Amino acid sequence: MKTIKFITAIIILVIMTPTISFSQENPTLSDSEVASVAVVANQIDISYAEIALKKSKNKEILDFAKRMITDHNAVIEQAVTLVTKLSVTPEDNAVSQSLSEGAEKTKKTLRKATRKEFDKLYIDNEVAYHKAVIAAVRDLLIPESDNGELKGLLEAVLPALEAHLGHAEMVQMKLK
Amino acid sequence: MIKPLRTIFLLFIFCVGFGQSVLGQKLKAKHRIEIKNMKFVPSGLTVQKGDTVVWINRDIFPHDVTELKNKAWSSSTLQQGISWYKVITKSEDYYCSLHVVMKGKLIVN
Repeated sequence: MKTIKFITAIIILVIMTPTISFSQENPTLSDSEVASVAVVANQIDISYAEIALKKSKNKEILDFAKRMITDHNAVIEQAVTLVTKLSVTPEDNAVSQSLSEGAEKTKKTLRKATRKEFDKLYIDNEVAYHKAVIAAVRDLLIPESDNGELKGLLEAVLPALEAHLGHAEMVQMKLK
Repeated sequence: MIKPLRTIFLLFIFCVGFGQSVLGQKLKAKHRIEIKNMKFVPSGLTVQKGDTVVWINRDIFPHDVTELKNKAWSSSTLQQGISWYKVITKSEDYYCSLHVVMKGKLIVN
């Protein structure tokens, strides 16, 4: 059952966001690597939001982007506090590298987009990205975490990611 | 003879008045709603007119409490651990304007 969920998470990540992919078929992550993936995933969404703040004039998009910057920074802050307490150093790994590479491609696309097409492109990507990250946190990062506090932090972040997804879908509907 | 009677009468009036005042205060209850895991808990709450509702933010994210229909009232942004209260006089729906999917309902009996 766990294996099915795990494979589903990877399939969702690859299908929903072609630019986000796991370079390993069955990655085994240490807590240092889980922490790194968590921080990178949050930083990526902040970087998308920063592009939105520069390119969009739409109030809904701007409000959403500001929210992403505040909330994902709050998660990073919590993660840094926790890894400092646990004396764990986030360790770059194949998953975090793959996420970063995918994000670079997406950022290029977002930067190249005309102002007219940007809002839809940005919010469509936010919907897909949050779906992918929710699946990854739930079916990969939480099961891979050995430390109870790290697992607890990831579990606490899930409702926020789901709320962000709901918010993104509302904005997406309004733009249609 | 009249003096003790008057004292007893005044004492009686005082006790009744004080009792009513205490009873009145007790009827105005205080309710607590926690904001945690991106939800208002409880999301629906039935209160008496004039009751006080206190919201406290237990999340790591900032939230607010805003009337849903017309944004008629709103708390300021509540950081983690900060609370805000309001005396409730009518049934109203509210939400977090920062995380628009978070909604709550107050029902006045």
